[in-house]
Formats: sequence, C-alpha cells, structure tokens
Amino acid sequence: MTRADYCIVLFAALLLPYLYISQWTGDEAGINATIMNGSETTEVSLAHDHTLEIDGALGTSIIKIKDGKIRFAASPCRGKQCIHSGWLEHAGEFAACLPNRISIAVLGEEPRFDSIIF
Amino acid sequence: MSGQPNNASERKTGITIKTTQEDHLIAWLAALAIAIHIIESVLPSPLPGVKPGLANVITIAVFILYGWRTAVWVTMLRVLVGSILIGTFLSPTFMLSFSGAVASLIVLWLASRLPGEGPGPIGLCLIAAMAHMSGQFYTAYLLFIPHDGLFKLLPLLMTAAVVFGIISGIIVRSMLQHLEKRKNDTTAQQNEQEK
Repeated sequence: MTRADYCIVLFAALLLPYLYISQWTGDEAGINATIMNGSETTEVSLAHDHTLEIDGALGTSIIKIKDGKIRFAASPCRGKQCIHSGWLEHAGEFAACLPNRISIAVLGEEPRFDSIIF
Repeated sequence: MSGQPNNASERKTGITIKTTQEDHLIAWLAALAIAIHIIESVLPSPLPGVKPGLANVITIAVFILYGWRTAVWVTMLRVLVGSILIGTFLSPTFMLSFSGAVASLIVLWLASRLPGEGPGPIGLCLIAAMAHMSGQFYTAYLLFIPHDGLFKLLPLLMTAAVVFGIISGIIVRSMLQHLEKRKNDTTAQQNEQEK
C-alpha cells in the first residue's frame, strides 16, 4: 500500500458516511402549505403554530399548524378521512376533505412532480 | 516447402494482416476479460447495478503491467464484444457498462498522471470501481430514470462499489505477486540452464 492508496481508501471512507447522511436524512421539511377552499387558494406558513378555521361547503373545518406540521383537527364531514390523514410535514404531502371542499398540501422549496411515467 | 517464397501463401489467402506482438497481447487479455464478463453476467444480483466487477480486475492488472493505452483497448473490446455475445449491445445494460468503463478509464488516466509513486493495485481498483459506479449512476439518472428518488440508492450502490473495489484490488495484488514469482522462477531456471 502506497501513500496514494491510503489517500484513496480514506477518501472512500469519508465519502460513504457523507452519502448516507446527505441522501438518507433530512427529508426537505415543508416551509409553506396551501389551503384550497373550493376554488380559492391561500398559502400559509408553517413556521409558527396556530389554528385556522375555514368555512367550507358543509361547515367549518379546523386546521392546526404545529412544529412545522399541518393537519385537519376537526371537520363537519361524515367520513373524517381528512382527520385520519394525520400530520403532514414533508413537501408534497396532501390531505383533503372532499365533502367540505377543502384540501391542504405541503409545499417544498420548489414544486415537485407527483410521479413520472414513461 | 522450405524453399518456397513466402508470397505464394500470401497469394492464396489474399490479404494478410501484419499483427504486432502488442495486438496479440491485447487479444489474449481481452478474451480473458470477455470470458469473465460473460460468466459474471450470469450471476444473480441483489440490486440492479451491483456486480462484483471482476472483469475490472483484468483492466487494472493490464493498466499496471502494460500501461493505460493497452488497458483502454482491453476494456473497450471487453465491453463491446461482451455485450454482443450476451445480446445486450446498445441496450441500457450496455450503456451503463460502457459509461462506467469510460469513467473508470478516465480516472485511471488521471491516476497515471499523478506525481510520485502513485496508487498501487488496491487504490487503483477502489478508485476505478467508484468511478465506474458514478459513471453508470449518472448515465442511469440522465437517460433512464430522471427522478431524484434514484439518489436514495446511491449510498448503497457506492458501498457495494467500495467493497468490491477493495476485494478486486486484493485479487489484483495477489495476481501480480504470483506473476512476479513465476517470472523470477523462470528466469532462475533459464540462468541455471545457461550454466
């Protein structure tokens, strides 16, 4: 083993942890979320905790924002699918209350594709 | 027969191609690499893109013994002929193995330009394996799967490249030691015979 060999092995030994850390951790946290109420869209920041009350087609949905996450806390609909969606925090996550015509989506730094099909 | 001029046989066969000693050497080594390449293509793989890359052992050994130019010949012939024989010529598999081979040859060229002693078999194999993986990964990303999710695979693929790179480095090292020993033995024998 020459000195150059050790340098290359060291380089590999440093590169691997870097790759694992950079690729496998820190899923881009959502910074903003959009709330769509019928056809109108509002953008909210997830930076500070608060509760929103939004009047939809059926009644008032309560949307909570906490620790950079957002969720439906209450909704006048029957299925409560929106509430069961739970906390949304990663860019691209989405929950909707169809009966009340309200949906929320977390936005990343740049909009991403839902999927690509060849 | 012995008195016949050589051009009689030349007339019979038409054109004769003059082959140099280097051509023969390249052909032999390429044949060896192609055989390994084909045997390896039959091995099952846990992840697409993960292969031991034993054919690269030949590339590195040739690079150390005969220089970069011969290594390029042997590697390119291996990728080309190997893919034609397996039936993957110009398919994605071929593109990946071709781009990986080009990337590792570029890195080997850079390594041959290093001042001083330069890396030995293990360093060369490791850096070539990593270059090979990077080359084929970016080709896959650019041509076949342009989705950021592919990068989640990169740490795993690179780990495989590092592990197999070191293993093939050890193989090359023991191969070179073996060759050296045999060379010494034969020269010793020749010396004895001359006495």
